[in-house]
Amino acid sequence: MIRPHDSIIVQTLGRFLIPVVQIFGLYVLFFGQYGPGGGFVGGVILGTGMILSVLIFGHDASRSQFVKNVLHGDGVGMLIYAGVGGLCMIGGGEFLNYANLEIPGLETASRRSLGIVLTQIGVAIDVAVTAVSIVFSLSAEEIMEDSING
Amino acid sequence: MSHQLPAILFLLPLFAAISMPVVCLKHRHWSHPISVAVLVVMVLVSVLNLYNVAHHGEVRYVFSGWTVPFGIEWVADGLASVILVLLSVLSLLGVVFAGPTSPKSLGGRIVHYYILILLLISALTGIVFSRDLFNLFVFLEVAAISSYGLVGVAGGRALFAAFRYLILGTLGASFYLLGVSYLYAVTGTLNMADLADKIPLLLDSKAVVAGLLFMFIGLGIKMALVPFHVWMPAAYTYAPDSVSPVLASLVTKVALLAWVRIIYWVLNASIAIYDIPILLLVAVLGSLAAVIGASLALAQRDLKMMFAYGGISHIGIILIGIGQGNQTGFVGGIFYLLNDAVMQAALFFLAGVAFCHYKVRTIEDIGRVGKQAPWLTGSLIVMALGMIGLPPTGGFFGKWQIILGAIEAGSYVSVAAVLLSTLLTLAYFVKLFEAIFRQTSAPLDVKFGEIPLSFKLTLGVTSAAIMILGLFSSPIVQMLLNHALPPGL
Repeated sequence: MIRPHDSIIVQTLGRFLIPVVQIFGLYVLFFGQYGPGGGFVGGVILGTGMILSVLIFGHDASRSQFVKNVLHGDGVGMLIYAGVGGLCMIGGGEFLNYANLEIPGLETASRRSLGIVLTQIGVAIDVAVTAVSIVFSLSAEEIMEDSING
Repeated sequence: MSHQLPAILFLLPLFAAISMPVVCLKHRHWSHPISVAVLVVMVLVSVLNLYNVAHHGEVRYVFSGWTVPFGIEWVADGLASVILVLLSVLSLLGVVFAGPTSPKSLGGRIVHYYILILLLISALTGIVFSRDLFNLFVFLEVAAISSYGLVGVAGGRALFAAFRYLILGTLGASFYLLGVSYLYAVTGTLNMADLADKIPLLLDSKAVVAGLLFMFIGLGIKMALVPFHVWMPAAYTYAPDSVSPVLASLVTKVALLAWVRIIYWVLNASIAIYDIPILLLVAVLGSLAAVIGASLALAQRDLKMMFAYGGISHIGIILIGIGQGNQTGFVGGIFYLLNDAVMQAALFFLAGVAFCHYKVRTIEDIGRVGKQAPWLTGSLIVMALGMIGLPPTGGFFGKWQIILGAIEAGSYVSVAAVLLSTLLTLAYFVKLFEAIFRQTSAPLDVKFGEIPLSFKLTLGVTSAAIMILGLFSSPIVQMLLNHALPPGL
């Protein structure tokens, strides 16, 4: 069980910093197309932002509700990843051969670019959810069980 | 379409596993029928794949459409396709068996179980098909991590066994990865066919030798080869009853298959490292495992523990066949691998039924319910025939081929090891039958009801499969000879 942090400085700074962390995470995720970055790193930063909000505002705060809901998204990231790969197979190519992603009006180069962005978003979601669920399972086992078993 | 079959076989269980948390969030009891349906489809697709490979030759599949030395290559050849049929049938039986046992033995974590087992099956598929050393490592890890989860899923005493399995399994994976990185540093490639061209010229390099050694130790831990087997009996014994059949029949055998791939497909099997022929090493390690495993099995009282040590000795027998370096021995080893996977599944189904329905765990106790348990005793007789290797069963023909191969290679020590381990196997089954038929302890006067249909089905199908593999041994061996031989043998 994580209680809210009692320092007003931490609370105020957290309110300011968490959105910045999240935006930076998204930036790293999409910058992966052109330079260092990508799904894994972006996902870790997004996950860290969510963990920070739970650590600062506590487990029961209304702000942490979103983070608890995120736990249900375990597997969604993988579904996006495997789904994009599967669409490529339906398009007639190999698994994850983005050139066969059947989207009308796009050239091969744009298809590849779009395919990689989509799979990286999937990876980022999965990494973020995993990071959050590790923190939750270390801090409060019962809550983890409840949120998974419904 | 047919060129997509390897990827489809891998994606079926993977898709099912990752959509399970979403689909079964509100309806937990859906997880069983969904898994059974997916695995039935997987069995059909794997049979189709085997037919396709047998008639049109092997299928090469490179992910994302890269060219070969750079992309991850999968090859569905005869050997991989045969193993895949075995893998999908046994996993289907394992999941069917899990139906009635799972709520009790898993401590209520049903959805966790089905997610992990489907993930395990897809990872094993990956190991069987992959022709890329690093990709192989990734799937070894996915399979291992899902097995740790499966062993510990019920909590309690299994957690300790799962933790020890985790420590040793991670050690094995690290050794393997270290070996792969040495080979990559020297050759600059991870593709098996590419490595096969480069490694024979580099055998003077200490890095290559060390890398191969590390890889062999790593996979040796994964397949529970004798000096590294300590994690295996406890993990399989304390794992939930619906988990241990799948683990015991598939995980170690698939790691062994990865070893066979590296020895025959990457290394030219006839090479010697520092004047030690590697096949001799394989045969010697196999002989040791065959004899030591069977002797340790003789000392056990717990049913599952005894069967797990029996599995260790059978890994050794398979390696003896693989290590002879001729067609007869190799085919015998692979055929024995098929039999052994079926027999291990059957034995752990039996131990599961004995515990879930009759509440017995030890050899003495099984004697006390013997008269009331016709399905248990009947299938146990068939399994014992198979494990010992008596004529109508597949076990006999497997051992026969292995012994013929060993005689052909002039390796009489191997013949002696197979025979000695057969005698020891006979001894521990005699111990079991003595408990059942001599009735030294008073029978329990509790009335047990009829066993559930899924228990009858799994016991019946596996016992029948042991017989069928024997009766149809010559067409199967012929098919293995035609399609599953490594290059240059």
